Amino acid sequence: MKDELFTMTPEMPAMSAEMLARWQEELRRNSLRMKHFSEMIMNPKEPEVGPTPREEIYRKGKSRLWRYASKRTFKTPLLFVPNLGISRPYIFDLMHNGSFIEHMTEMGFDFYLVDWGVFGPEDNDLTLEYVVTKILPRLARKALESSGAKEMSVLGYCMGAPLSLSWLGSTPEFPVKNYIDMAGPIDFSQVGLFGLWLDARYFDADKYVDTLGAIPADMVKMGFKLLKPTMDLSTSISLWWNLWNPDYVAGFNALNKWANEYLPFPGEFFRQWVKEYYQQNRMFKGELTMAGRPVRLGSIRCPVLAVGAKEDNIAPPGCVRPLIGAVSSTDKEYVELPGGHISLIAGRGASVHCWPKVSSWLAARS
Amino acid sequence: MADNPVTQQLFDMWKKQVDEGTQAWLKMAGQGQAPDPQAFWRPFMDQGMQAWSKVMTQGTASPDLMAQWKQFLDQWIAAWSKVLEQAMGTENFAQAMGKQLEGFLNVSAPVKKAAEQHVEAGLATLGLPSRTQVIGLSKQIAALEDKIESVEDRIDAVLARLDRMTAASKKERE
Repeated sequence: MKDELFTMTPEMPAMSAEMLARWQEELRRNSLRMKHFSEMIMNPKEPEVGPTPREEIYRKGKSRLWRYASKRTFKTPLLFVPNLGISRPYIFDLMHNGSFIEHMTEMGFDFYLVDWGVFGPEDNDLTLEYVVTKILPRLARKALESSGAKEMSVLGYCMGAPLSLSWLGSTPEFPVKNYIDMAGPIDFSQVGLFGLWLDARYFDADKYVDTLGAIPADMVKMGFKLLKPTMDLSTSISLWWNLWNPDYVAGFNALNKWANEYLPFPGEFFRQWVKEYYQQNRMFKGELTMAGRPVRLGSIRCPVLAVGAKEDNIAPPGCVRPLIGAVSSTDKEYVELPGGHISLIAGRGASVHCWPKVSSWLAARS
Repeated sequence: MADNPVTQQLFDMWKKQVDEGTQAWLKMAGQGQAPDPQAFWRPFMDQGMQAWSKVMTQGTASPDLMAQWKQFLDQWIAAWSKVLEQAMGTENFAQAMGKQLEGFLNVSAPVKKAAEQHVEAGLATLGLPSRTQVIGLSKQIAALEDKIESVEDRIDAVLARLDRMTAASKKERE
């Protein structure tokens, strides 16, 4: 093959051995690109996600509490509270060697995940207040019971941070030992493009919910795609560039599956989320109440770690950092790590920057 | 920034166009006119094609050309992303989007209502439960689950109290 393709003739400019080798490598990669591309089109394989073994501990309505297999060397369990709606939580346990949950369980944490579930029209009346005062405390209590511990650490990711803080800020008697906010917006006056688009002057949340009942998954998808319109283009270019690499292709397939599975918002939940958090910033201002109890971020006294992502356009660092000033903890820290909203917690960069930081901070306090 | 002088030169040329394009975009957004995406994108597509022809006509072909082109595209997209972010971060854009979505709701509300009424009537004729009835049933089940949980909580509280009392009386006996 080498002789056929690169026979030197007087008409061709001289090519060094190094250049020849590089051309050969480029050709090899191109043939692999074509091979993997045709496999993706002609014989697409369903990626296997969620590799870490787990068991269902409790179910309330559509929400489930999962406990992951672990050596459990740390006595304080960790409750992970992700976003409700928008996307599925298997992004946190995407694939072997690319999973935040796998990392944490290998470190020895007793890891519990709140899986809010997929809500349908029958859940349109589900309010944020019900989620914060009924579902979340119950799942947390069940996690405590199943672990046998007296205290637990709570990690809120994205929307899971304001949800879990609204719960903890209104129930200071709950035995929380440590709190971690990962890319969770706290001061919604600093929340970037979504904050502007959802401003009460331009966005009538009541009209949306009253008309549509729920916020359909396609509309959620449209909002997130609009936030970064070039994302699909850059993803496609990166895919083509790395298509020769089977590991990259496997990772892409898993991530792509997740990235195209958007979830709807229950109507009443969305109404309260947009009005009280985005438009009125009531949690940060200390004006929010849950089941008649005021939500006071200042009542949180446990060690707190807030993690912002430098290129996050959903929860920019400016809206995450204010948690540090709002809580009464003496042991508190804010770190800003490379990455975007998702790449902060999923992907190769996360395994280098975020996971070790979170696990070491928590290990020292668990 | 680009490591290679060719890429750097191309990037600088392109950046100039981006700056000019951004100004044009923001001007359009500021005037509240409907932006013409084709007119906006065309100069950049032309620029990309020019850059590509220039790269192709320079010296001996090397596999690095692909890497340079990829780098160029990445920078192109990153800068474009910033331009779009700036444009979408304006009050005018938010206002225009809000109006468009409101228009969608105004149109879809009566259509949705009429469709729902027709489906309900059709199901009733066939003697089948309507979506509203199924949703109602689901809500009743959820309410029942809540009641069971509340009973469970009370039983747990009573049992915990009993445990404490038993422990206390045991201690007293000792």
